[in-house]
Amino acid sequence: MSESIISVSNISKSFGGRKVVDDLSLSVAQGEVFGLLGHNGAGKSTTIEMILGINKPDTGSAYILGKDAASARKEIFEKVGVQLQSSSYQASIKVGEVCEEFASLYQNPADYHHLLEQFGLLPLIKSPVMKLSGGERQKLSVVLALIGSPEIVFLDELTTGLDVSARREVWKTLKALKAEGMTLFLTTHYMEEAENLCDCICLIKNGRKVTEGTVREVVDASPYDNLEDAYLWYMGEEVI
Amino acid sequence: MRRFLTLYKIEQKLFFRSPDVFVFNLCMPVVVLLLIGFIAGDQAAGGEDITYIQSAFASLTAVGICCSAFMSIPIVMVDYRDKKILKRLYCSPASPVRLLAADTLCSVVMSAISAVLVAAAAVMVFGYRMEGDFLYFMGAWLLTLISMFSIGLVAAALCRTTKSLNVATSILYFPMLFFSGATIPYELFPKGLQRVADVMPLGVGIDLMKAASIGADMKGSLPNIIILAVIAAVCSTVAVKTFRWE
Repeated sequence: MSESIISVSNISKSFGGRKVVDDLSLSVAQGEVFGLLGHNGAGKSTTIEMILGINKPDTGSAYILGKDAASARKEIFEKVGVQLQSSSYQASIKVGEVCEEFASLYQNPADYHHLLEQFGLLPLIKSPVMKLSGGERQKLSVVLALIGSPEIVFLDELTTGLDVSARREVWKTLKALKAEGMTLFLTTHYMEEAENLCDCICLIKNGRKVTEGTVREVVDASPYDNLEDAYLWYMGEEVI
Repeated sequence: MRRFLTLYKIEQKLFFRSPDVFVFNLCMPVVVLLLIGFIAGDQAAGGEDITYIQSAFASLTAVGICCSAFMSIPIVMVDYRDKKILKRLYCSPASPVRLLAADTLCSVVMSAISAVLVAAAAVMVFGYRMEGDFLYFMGAWLLTLISMFSIGLVAAALCRTTKSLNVATSILYFPMLFFSGATIPYELFPKGLQRVADVMPLGVGIDLMKAASIGADMKGSLPNIIILAVIAAVCSTVAVKTFRWE
């Protein structure tokens, strides 16, 4: 395996006395698609926020591209694209305008017209973002994550709330990114998604790591033959 | 700089799309000026050596400042924080400060457009001419703007939720709009209400702008200048120290 470009060692974080992330370590290699899986409130978003420097870990350290994101913010975010869970946009902004705004944030932005075309959003360039469907809006958030021509992209519950066909469409685009050698760090609730996309997965429960490895390894180490059953087994729940 | 201007240009477009900004910031002051002008334009206001149109000119060019400082700035900032737009910008090589700066510039521009519309109506409809030094007036207007904006920034920094912000803007905006002499002429106020206007930050600013516009001796306005400068210094420090982008 090549050198890790995200490395997290023993991070913990508490909010109001409740431990959200507990002594978590993980590492992601270049070009890998890494999936962080867990229930709601398991600490997935908080982990991402600590890697991105939005939240400071109480203990432990998180490095991305060999640096601490909080102190090397400018440099890191030229190379790291982000889609945050449930973020939204200015009230009356249009698709083309939000792209132009994001392009203005980077030194050498990609041509967003090209990205919009790639994601089938070009005909909507003059539409208000508010008028987009859920799938279109999620695809737009991927476009925005890619505008800086990043090496690593973080996607937090990208496909939550999407219908089956929209989800498949998003997968297709993520697979294309993977084929180009992009490193992807994603969180998801859909085991099918993890099976389809991820080279490596890490299951967390109450902020603690339960297991990690390739999908095959994780399934094989359980008494079950598919990831969904294995996941529930790891989470300590009854498999019906 | 070019990249900042791109951001500014788009945010400015969004401002023009907001019906509230259009009505309160651009239309309302001109309408009030026309009303006062037609009703009592040439009459001396309250026995002092200032006519109603002179008084209305100075105070209504401050309404744009009031709308921007106590409505646009805090509402936009808290809205962007609520929607996690600022957090999203933190995850880019630019900082959320760039967006906040662009939006503050939008508010300055809206205040200026509002003042220019009032001035144009006063000059073209009522033949208004400024007796005082135009540069002094500009200086007074700018100082008032900086001072009021700093108060608006404190509201944006301290209010964590849209709900608390709505309360704060109502407490700031409406009293400032009606009781500082910005819309209803100060000279019509009973003595007690005039004392209230005298201690309102916007009232202090309007008093200074009036003095500059009628060519009064600016030495008498020194306390007002000091008050506005102190407000600006204290409030911008508090705002910067307490602002949370998340």
